[in-house]
Amino acid sequence: MSAKKDKGLYLSDRPPLTTLKVILLGISYILLFFYVFIVLWPLSQILFTSFNGNQGSYIQIGGTYEFSTKHFDYLFQETYFLNWVLNTIVIALATAILTLIFVSFTGYAYSRYRFKGRKASLMAIMLIQTIPTFAGIAAFYTLHSIVISIAPWFSRQLFLILIYAGGGIAGNTFILKGYIDSISTELDDAARIDGCGNLQVYRLIIMPIVRPMLAVIALWSFIGPFLDFMLPSILLNDPKTYTLATGLNTLITDQYNMHQPVFAAGGLLTAVPIIILFIALQKQLVSGLASGAVKG
Amino acid sequence: MRVELVNIGKKYEGRENFTIRHIDLAIEDKDFCVILGPSGCGKSTLLRMIAGLNSITEGDLLFDGKRMNKVEPKDRDIAMVFQSYALYPHMTVYDNMAFSLKMRKEKKTVIHDRVKEAAELLQITEYLYSKPSEISGGQRQRVALGRAMVRKAGVFLLDEPLSNLDAKLREHMRVELVRLHKSLDTTTIYVTHDQTEAMTMATKIVLLEDGKVQQVGAPSEFYDRPQNLFVAGFIGSPTMNIFHGLMKNGLFKADDDLFTVEPNEQDKKKLQAYDGKRVALGIRSERFLAGEAPKNQITVKIDVIEMLGKEQLLYCEFPNGKECVISEPGYFEYKVDEAHNFHLDTAGLHFFSEETSERIN
Repeated sequence: MSAKKDKGLYLSDRPPLTTLKVILLGISYILLFFYVFIVLWPLSQILFTSFNGNQGSYIQIGGTYEFSTKHFDYLFQETYFLNWVLNTIVIALATAILTLIFVSFTGYAYSRYRFKGRKASLMAIMLIQTIPTFAGIAAFYTLHSIVISIAPWFSRQLFLILIYAGGGIAGNTFILKGYIDSISTELDDAARIDGCGNLQVYRLIIMPIVRPMLAVIALWSFIGPFLDFMLPSILLNDPKTYTLATGLNTLITDQYNMHQPVFAAGGLLTAVPIIILFIALQKQLVSGLASGAVKG
Repeated sequence: MRVELVNIGKKYEGRENFTIRHIDLAIEDKDFCVILGPSGCGKSTLLRMIAGLNSITEGDLLFDGKRMNKVEPKDRDIAMVFQSYALYPHMTVYDNMAFSLKMRKEKKTVIHDRVKEAAELLQITEYLYSKPSEISGGQRQRVALGRAMVRKAGVFLLDEPLSNLDAKLREHMRVELVRLHKSLDTTTIYVTHDQTEAMTMATKIVLLEDGKVQQVGAPSEFYDRPQNLFVAGFIGSPTMNIFHGLMKNGLFKADDDLFTVEPNEQDKKKLQAYDGKRVALGIRSERFLAGEAPKNQITVKIDVIEMLGKEQLLYCEFPNGKECVISEPGYFEYKVDEAHNFHLDTAGLHFFSEETSERIN
């Protein structure tokens, strides 16, 4: 059929808009544009500021613009920026891997096995969720003195990893358990008859199916250390061991060491590792793999 | 392989009573044994116990005389097809079928040959490299069968494998399964709640109800000689007509004086002990003969007619409201609300004791 003939036909599945609805729709769009502005404007300011050579110690809005990479040069030459990046990535990776391993075990066990105290411990996990991770500091002070006396090599950064992972395991166990619950146990039975042991059932059958969820958990565990400022600022005492958040913070808290545009440049670069991981996991994040397992 | 169940029972954790108990059963080598029963009778539990997916609470499970109670499922030499097919969604059809052999560390060439062989037999060669989500329900079903076949296991276990297919495909697969059983030459144990599947496929039927075996035997025995009232009511479509009544002087008198039946000589002898007692009379719909007769006659009003083509089912009503189903050839002319005479074929009567529900004749 020609396009011309189609013109007169109303092809949408929704009922036609009344005047009132058109106005409401217009208001919705205005609100949305406003929201987009709130999100994008600061981001664009970070981008412009970090490449603006005319910015001094403080960020000034409305000054003249001159392209320059001097803030980045400062970042790399005058600060421990590369150390901070490395620290953060190591901590983030370790957290993600630890969380994934533990959550795999706990999520699978809670979903598939019936054991004494299962319900009670699930409830406990739920309750533990309500205690903020910040309370981990208390645990840190008690544990630190004990552990250090036994294993002096156990650094404050390792403690940070433990606190991040420990905080993540509880909530993510819940999420993964729920996801595994939705997979038919007949798959487990089939695998068992086909010759799998308990761990093989998880590794060869369940894990590939829950991969999208594992990818989400990995991503969130990875992002956590990039965003958190409070824990590292309390735990870590040497600027060389700082993570990105605490490290960059030194550029804007001290009046004698005030470099706000450099802070912006560092913030911009912080996004890079997360974006890389996101792109790498993009394929895994697409769920819907479980369809077709059983009749559907 | 010969599968033997000796006094087997299962009690689930946290349950008060045994789900099934005192099951004694011997399934011969190369039998096609169908475990039949209404839902919740414990038939799937029984199959899962044979597979090793559920533990055995009491009794012994023997494969060729060897006790299997504590043996892992993978070491029992069994293959199983699940109701939901349970195909591994992240693997291709080929990998699904090859998985069990890979786990057993078979040689790649052997695996390839076996998978190809099974795929050809089941006509799924085209889809070998598709994922389960990309093929239709019927094809998935075949893949599930293929996955079990490649193992060349001693016992083939099927848990309601056809219940997810549409009627036409189910009919087709019934024949295929029987053919497959013949060509595989293994012992097959098949669980279903569908009596048609049981009647058409089995060499041996085990009817379970309430955790107990009600009857074991060939399909024809089930139809012609049901052992008790439950079996009589469960097997056969339409359901057997059951009339309750009293034996008096060698005659069966139905309640409310609906009709009187004189059994044939053989039945009379067996019924002697029941004179003056209450018994139930069962008769299948096709054992009513049209027309008048000097003895064993009933007169009923036709309530509903179900025309099936080659035959028609007449749902009739006695004067007291008691209903019965009669089947007559499709070319006979009947109309709703007409009253007709039929008589009972004495060769097709089943008598059951009302006390024990057991068969008398």
